[in-house]
Amino acid sequence: MTLLAKPWIWSWLAAAIAFGLTLALTSGRGAGELAYAALSFGAFAAIVGMGQMLVITLGPGNVDLSIPATMTLTATLALKVMSSDPGTALLGLAVALAVGLGAGMANFALIFLLRLPPIIATLAASLVYQSLAIWSNRGLRIKPPEGLADFSTGRFLALPNVAWVALALAVVVWVVLERTVWGRWLLAAGQNMRAARLAGVPVEMVRAATYLAVSVFAGLAGYLLASFSGGAALNMGAEYLLMSIAVVVIGGTSIAGGASNVPGIWGAALFMFLVVSMLNSYGAGAGVRSVLTGTIIIAIVIAASTRRVRA
Amino acid sequence: MTISKMLLGAAGLAMAAGLAQAGSHLADTSGKRIALSNNYAGNSWRQAMLETYQGTASEAVSAGIVAAADAYTTSENQATEQAAQIQNMILQGYDAIILNAASPTALNGAVKEACDAGVTVVSFDGIVTEPCAWRIAVDFAAMGKEEVDYLATRLPDGGKLLEIRGLAGVFVDDEISKGIHEGVAEHSQFEIVGSVHGDWAQDVAQKAVAGILPSLPDIVGVVTQGGDGYGAAQAFKAAGRPTPLIVLGNRQDELKWWAEQRDANGYETLSLSIAPGVASLAFWVAQQILAGEEVPKDLTVPFLKITQDTLDASLASTPEGSVANVTYTLEDAQKVIAEAK
Repeated sequence: MTLLAKPWIWSWLAAAIAFGLTLALTSGRGAGELAYAALSFGAFAAIVGMGQMLVITLGPGNVDLSIPATMTLTATLALKVMSSDPGTALLGLAVALAVGLGAGMANFALIFLLRLPPIIATLAASLVYQSLAIWSNRGLRIKPPEGLADFSTGRFLALPNVAWVALALAVVVWVVLERTVWGRWLLAAGQNMRAARLAGVPVEMVRAATYLAVSVFAGLAGYLLASFSGGAALNMGAEYLLMSIAVVVIGGTSIAGGASNVPGIWGAALFMFLVVSMLNSYGAGAGVRSVLTGTIIIAIVIAASTRRVRA
Repeated sequence: MTISKMLLGAAGLAMAAGLAQAGSHLADTSGKRIALSNNYAGNSWRQAMLETYQGTASEAVSAGIVAAADAYTTSENQATEQAAQIQNMILQGYDAIILNAASPTALNGAVKEACDAGVTVVSFDGIVTEPCAWRIAVDFAAMGKEEVDYLATRLPDGGKLLEIRGLAGVFVDDEISKGIHEGVAEHSQFEIVGSVHGDWAQDVAQKAVAGILPSLPDIVGVVTQGGDGYGAAQAFKAAGRPTPLIVLGNRQDELKWWAEQRDANGYETLSLSIAPGVASLAFWVAQQILAGEEVPKDLTVPFLKITQDTLDASLASTPEGSVANVTYTLEDAQKVIAEAK
């Protein structure tokens, strides 16, 4: 298999081109700055993107639309519990992950017990989560504890700490998908749920674990994003709805399910940040920017999928 | 709110009620019912707006000025949903609808139906163009221009500016940006070298600014639309660049950051935005119209400006994590009406 046949190469290639074009404007100045910013902001998209990837891998009709609301709710509650007190970062993290887990269980309960299609179930649930976030704190922004804010905006070995977290998570997800039975079960279920069930794969358990994972990932992303940007806001998750799906598709994961691609998620997350930076740097207006972003995404998806067919 | 403040407020309202009824030509509105139709509640500005409205409304109801003043918010920020909400309000027999509209034109049909049914419609912030409705508008273009005028007083030599815009496609964003560009045309020493959309949100602004900064030359000032100043400051800090003069938008975290910078290095700037309390102004205007007062259809509300001198007072009166606010009284409404006449 040549390098070009790897589905993840296209998102990395696109990210590299966007990076190069932005720097062409400044004749190379600010390369480190731009790469650092891309890694910082790409980390959040990568975390929610990996969650979405697992769900989409489950097969047609599986998607989690409650990611933005889950992020908002977990971040709001975690920051409220910490109430800017030093030394509460781990407590906040525990709350964020627990709330994420709770949201995942609620989502799966709707899908499994009430037999709602995942799109409807997660969309409906997200209205509830968003309302809970509004109700719990009335939109007031609470600052993260100083140590946590320093951690989330800080760096280690020249890379942003949030990028390290997302990288570590990517390695874990990759190992689980490629090297464990659970990952094989997930792929099998995504390729043909009925065949997987007949082959003895505990399909419902795999689905449950996947819907829990995506919400926990969203909780982690919300917690980090709120700490990074100085507090939770009611509309903080809004852009991660389309973002989470876009990075999955651009990253070379099959939208039909059954094939996931972890490295592609990172490439796509970087690309989604860099393409906006590039168009902003060239002074493109909002309309042009949206049209170009859409066109580029379509082009990458076509490139990635044609290659896969040939391979 | 402390008890004494509440008592004071109640006393003020009682006096205001007395005044309103003392004005001989005005009718009694104690049997009238007012509804607030609001299109969105998902940010701190809207939350402060709803809170102020509820405070004003419940005091007015308990003082017997109006019979009811309920608040309704649509869940999806959709014009169709809000149109249906307005139709429900007509059926429920409200005498006046106070409207923060999802669209300046898409609700005109529903607003016209309300007018035809004899319901007074007062739109504010997100106003509607339907002629039968009243409009309480902010001169957003003037707000944008004032930012550049202020920069011109502080930076007479001019320089390169970064513009942070709001939500693309929204009327307010276009207006403020238009004013900023008018200001830049007037003060030719300034040049806008970059423009990003921050969606009036700190995290989005921070991300957009961080992305464009590496390609920008030295920036002397940042013109904003509110809700984005703190994010911009964070992005400059993360990039290791000197903090330029950032015009702020009255959010508490922005004001707090400003006070910290001032104490540390004498940082000076200006903060301006529309106060969420404009909902209380709309309430009193609706009450005055119901009372039979002649009110011009187009009213203008001043924006709330915080300067170096008023920073500490504003910061002290703004709840943690919220937006600087003023609650408008009946007298304020009467003043705005008198000025428009």
